[in-house]
Amino acid sequence: MGLLEKIEQYTNRGTDKVSNKTAYSKFIDLGFPSVKNEEWKYTSLKKIISNNFEIENQGEEITDQEIKNNSLDLDNKVVFLNGELYQKPTISGVKIEKNIDLSPKYNDAITALNAALAKNGYNITVSENTIVDKPLEILFLTKNKSENLAQYRNEIIVKKNSSIKIIEQVKNLNNNLCFSNMFTNINLEEKAIIEFNKLQNNNESQIIVDNTNINQETGSNSTFNTLLFGGLFTRNNLNFSQNGERCESNMNGVVILDNSEFADNHTYMDHLKANCESNELYKGIYLGKSKGVFNGKIMVRPDAQKINAFQANNNLLLSDDSSINSKPQLEIYADDVKCSHGCTIGQLDEDAIFYMNTRGISKEDAKAILTYAFASDALNKISIPYLYDVAKDLISKKLNVDLSF
Amino acid sequence: MLKIENLKAGVDGVEILKGINLSVNSGEVHAIMGPNGSGKSTLSSVIAGDETFEVSSGSVLFDDEDLLDLDPDQRAHKGVFLSFQYPVEIPGISVSNFIKAAITEKRKVLGLDPMPAKDLLGKMREKMDLLNMKPGYLSRNMNEGFSGGEKKRNEIFQMAMLEPKLAILDETDSGLDIDALKVVANGVNKLKKSNNATIVITHYQRLLDYIVPDYVHVLHNGRIIKSGGKELAHKLEEKGYDWITKLADEKWGS
Repeated sequence: MGLLEKIEQYTNRGTDKVSNKTAYSKFIDLGFPSVKNEEWKYTSLKKIISNNFEIENQGEEITDQEIKNNSLDLDNKVVFLNGELYQKPTISGVKIEKNIDLSPKYNDAITALNAALAKNGYNITVSENTIVDKPLEILFLTKNKSENLAQYRNEIIVKKNSSIKIIEQVKNLNNNLCFSNMFTNINLEEKAIIEFNKLQNNNESQIIVDNTNINQETGSNSTFNTLLFGGLFTRNNLNFSQNGERCESNMNGVVILDNSEFADNHTYMDHLKANCESNELYKGIYLGKSKGVFNGKIMVRPDAQKINAFQANNNLLLSDDSSINSKPQLEIYADDVKCSHGCTIGQLDEDAIFYMNTRGISKEDAKAILTYAFASDALNKISIPYLYDVAKDLISKKLNVDLSF
Repeated sequence: MLKIENLKAGVDGVEILKGINLSVNSGEVHAIMGPNGSGKSTLSSVIAGDETFEVSSGSVLFDDEDLLDLDPDQRAHKGVFLSFQYPVEIPGISVSNFIKAAITEKRKVLGLDPMPAKDLLGKMREKMDLLNMKPGYLSRNMNEGFSGGEKKRNEIFQMAMLEPKLAILDETDSGLDIDALKVVANGVNKLKKSNNATIVITHYQRLLDYIVPDYVHVLHNGRIIKSGGKELAHKLEEKGYDWITKLADEKWGS
């Protein structure tokens, strides 16, 4: 049975199953997007949704050791196991709760499905004038008896003059396919700062469709680092909305895929107000038969004068069978703005490989070092040294080389 | 140390080197001079192992082992170093990390542990002083945005760090002003030992005022057409190449 039938079967079981009826109708109306939908042109869900996912959780026990092994083991952790909040830290000035306020926000079928059925997630509120020193780790771990759909609905509110750094991981721990449909709404109040790192280093049983909306007020600053090193199918939607002046939004991505992995990074930068800035840098490295999609849209509204918007997507195809579809989009309705975008697709520089060879560095290592160097400017945006080291280590493993410098 | 015999090589079926013979012993400095297009850079590329060039015959014996059987990185591990005419920019890798990677690989091949960071840094400082290099230089990306002179200095810096047995300097003087030239030449001279050798490839006599060769060879049309002592370089500076290339063309055809 396909996912849609499974969902209908589930919702028919009782009126309590659907938490938001309007959202559910919207989902049923729209159905899962097909490749005829412009936003899903290169990203087919067809095969994914034909799997026999269970909607209700039949979780298996996840031990503390497993949590440790699958996390960065930071001091402050929010841990969800098989859909339930398992652990949360106490941090002064920060309120962390199980998300009970299921806000009605949704913008397409997938987010409507999430709004309709998600029963869990977090709500994090950082009080005014609070600088959270230690990064907060958020983990969503799943270990299910069968193939399953896991949905979470989250909210982060960073109040005036406050800042927080977050590292999030969504991970499936066994070989049963897990479709994680994640929705996160982030509100940054005046002069609030967030650095959100998504570490997506998954095995090939993990499917993620993530939607994150970031709403920024005057003078706020957001940085999103997407570190995508594996997973069967990943679709990230990052939607930024600058609702006040002097906002800054930064998106950085490092994607390294191998085998038959697939990833689609969709970003939407909405410049609504004047004197703001956005910077976007995505680096993609594709091996094996992996496929990537990048779609970055920058919208500059009539009131958004004197903005600076920069976007770049650079890709390395390291095998004959890998591919990337890259689509930058600019829509500009203001006349005094600075916008640039660029997209490159290439291979490693043979001259550089030879140069390194003559210095005694083997071909394999030269390729790996150059690949790492290619990703480094996006990687350097990570401000948490420990995470930087973890990312570098994961890249070395992925490229099967020692990058011990 | 190095014995090249009847080396013929070319690219896309066009023969560029038409039978090179050359012997270099430890402690010697050889200069290879010649007009543009004579095959100077091809020779250095073939010795270093650039696969762009196909070797059709001959051998390049280095300590009795034919370099032509080895990959470029293996040649480097044996002690061959090429200072590039056009060093390659490598964005994203700092000079210090690049050199660390090179030294670590060589030591690994030799069965040695990586050099302790403190020792490595100390050595880098010492060699930088030798070449009058500014401290911030180590953290710059490899050759990225370097001026022509900085790139050449960086080549000699790598040479100083890697301590090769045989260094081939391909047009190291091009892009250097006279002060930089003196510094680089001084660096090369200080690195000279009784157990290493240097081949200086140059178009002009200028560099040879500072790195004084024991032997000078004239390369023309893929062949060494004349060899002599350092006085040959002066003669070339004075009279140009025509007087010998004409003789050679009469012998082999132009």
